[in-house]
Amino acid sequence: MTADGLAISAKGLTKHYGKLVAVDHVDLAVPRGTIFGLLGPNGAGKTTIIKMLTGLSDITDGTATVAGFDVARDPMHVKQRVGWVAAEVILDDDLSGWENLWLQAKLQHLTEWKERALQLLAYFELTDRRKDKVGTYSTGMRKKMEIALALLHQPEVIFMDEPTIGLDANVRRMLWELITGVNRQFGVTVLLTSHYIEEADFLCDHVAIIDHGKFVAVGTPSELKARVRADYVELETSEAVTPAKLEAIAGVTSVRQQGSTWVLRVSSAEEVLPRLFHTLATDGIRRINVEKPSLESVFIDITGKKIDQAGPDVQDYRKFYASVRRARQ
Amino acid sequence: MSTVNRSVSLPASLVPRHDGRVGQFSQFSGLYARELLRTFRNPFVIVITLVQPFMWLAFFGGIFSTLSTSELDSFLLHAPPGTGYLAFLLPGVLSTGMLSIGMFGAMSTIQDKRFGFMKRILITPTSKATVYLAKALGSATRGLVQIPVMVAAAFAFGVHLQGSALGWAACLLGLVLLGFGFSALFLAITASSTDWQTPGVVSNFITMPLMFASGAMFPTTIYPGWMKAIAEVNPVGYSADLARSVMTYGQFTGSCLTDLGYLALFAAVMMGVGTALASKYLKVE
Repeated sequence: MTADGLAISAKGLTKHYGKLVAVDHVDLAVPRGTIFGLLGPNGAGKTTIIKMLTGLSDITDGTATVAGFDVARDPMHVKQRVGWVAAEVILDDDLSGWENLWLQAKLQHLTEWKERALQLLAYFELTDRRKDKVGTYSTGMRKKMEIALALLHQPEVIFMDEPTIGLDANVRRMLWELITGVNRQFGVTVLLTSHYIEEADFLCDHVAIIDHGKFVAVGTPSELKARVRADYVELETSEAVTPAKLEAIAGVTSVRQQGSTWVLRVSSAEEVLPRLFHTLATDGIRRINVEKPSLESVFIDITGKKIDQAGPDVQDYRKFYASVRRARQ
Repeated sequence: MSTVNRSVSLPASLVPRHDGRVGQFSQFSGLYARELLRTFRNPFVIVITLVQPFMWLAFFGGIFSTLSTSELDSFLLHAPPGTGYLAFLLPGVLSTGMLSIGMFGAMSTIQDKRFGFMKRILITPTSKATVYLAKALGSATRGLVQIPVMVAAAFAFGVHLQGSALGWAACLLGLVLLGFGFSALFLAITASSTDWQTPGVVSNFITMPLMFASGAMFPTTIYPGWMKAIAEVNPVGYSADLARSVMTYGQFTGSCLTDLGYLALFAAVMMGVGTALASKYLKVE
């Protein structure tokens, strides 16, 4: 581990795919033992950052150090010290849980791994199913199996790409507990990507908000939220409304239109809402949503759009899972 | 829904040993074993591997099987003793069977890329060359299962096979080298591909000309000059010559050793070139 206590550090990290700049001069400093979140819309460059930090993808420009080794110069040493959990759950479905662990041990060049594998299986409550083909596991079990694989070689850093995407609410909750548990119990530094605001808020010690390949804000969730001294009100009306009419309401500091939705920046939602209702009494408010300071409002404040509306269309991961499963059968 | 069992804690003492050096044998043996495990759990793959050369023997060989020895003599020059053309064809089919076995390795590689498993492999200290070599050897091994079945089928068709134990060992080694060489070539060609259709296209591209431009099916003496020229360098012909000399005519001579040497050279060159290409061009996804 480096003397500066950082598990991951990067300076000017940049990735070009042809003419496309996927990641644009990103600086990163992740203290060891913490959970760091890359928050941003799909296509913002989160996965590309993980690929560069794990040596899967060449770095176009800049430097990165992970677990004390330079990623470009010593990729193999980095790979011995990092674990990885994929967004789409990647396991060999034709092999059993135990065989997946065995293969992982082989790939990580481990000699004494069985004891630890058994303990991990017990920890994730997969012991009874270890001889079954992974293809028969439920989604939650597969995710746990993948985390067990990532932990097998006692890595210093674990990369989790969209760890809860496509999972239903209770599995997601369980996973959040697992991630914090793994972080505390094993002292593993976690770098995760997410486009779920509440996930980054719940899990992360530090968050970097990323848009179009650039970090637009970095800090603890509470620091970031404190930057926005405003609430946001989103509304849709059935009658056409002019921006001037909205701007005229006292307490509204800015007005933006996003599709059929108006996004108002207001000093305080509690004070502005009564006046807003009064002004729009005859315009037929169809939907209204108040955004108190949150990572979402930080993102809106900086980029002018909501995370799940930014970037390319959000992929339907449930469909993706279904098609992958079909193809595997 | 299952929860986390909190009563289990992991001792921090279980730190895997990292001696700083990153060897590749453990990774290679793991990946190779995985290839075999997956193959032999998939009976369909085995059946296809076996059926294809068997079809050649049955249908293609069937065309000539009723010809008399004297009729064959005019065509094959020296018809082998026993069952005639089938005895001539068997060593050839065993050899041409090695042409397309690289397809399985290529398909399993493309599957790994498409399902992301290649990322799982390459995010560990495993080099692309190791992945490539494990796939190539896995393919070659898979191709070997057709040999005992083909030989048994030949006996069933009433073919009398000749040869000493040493001669047969040389034949098997020749087939292994041929299979490995073509698997290596196949995987190098498809290293950067992620398309399911590529292996089929490449297979046709490799198999068709090399199958016929060799002495595997017919004696090359009846070929036109340009086909003879290809057959001169085509490793399939060398393997067919070796196997035919031993199995059909029962002769293990000096030219058999030359054949074996040529096949070893072919395998070595394919492995060298393929490894270099794969470490550069093997795609992650």
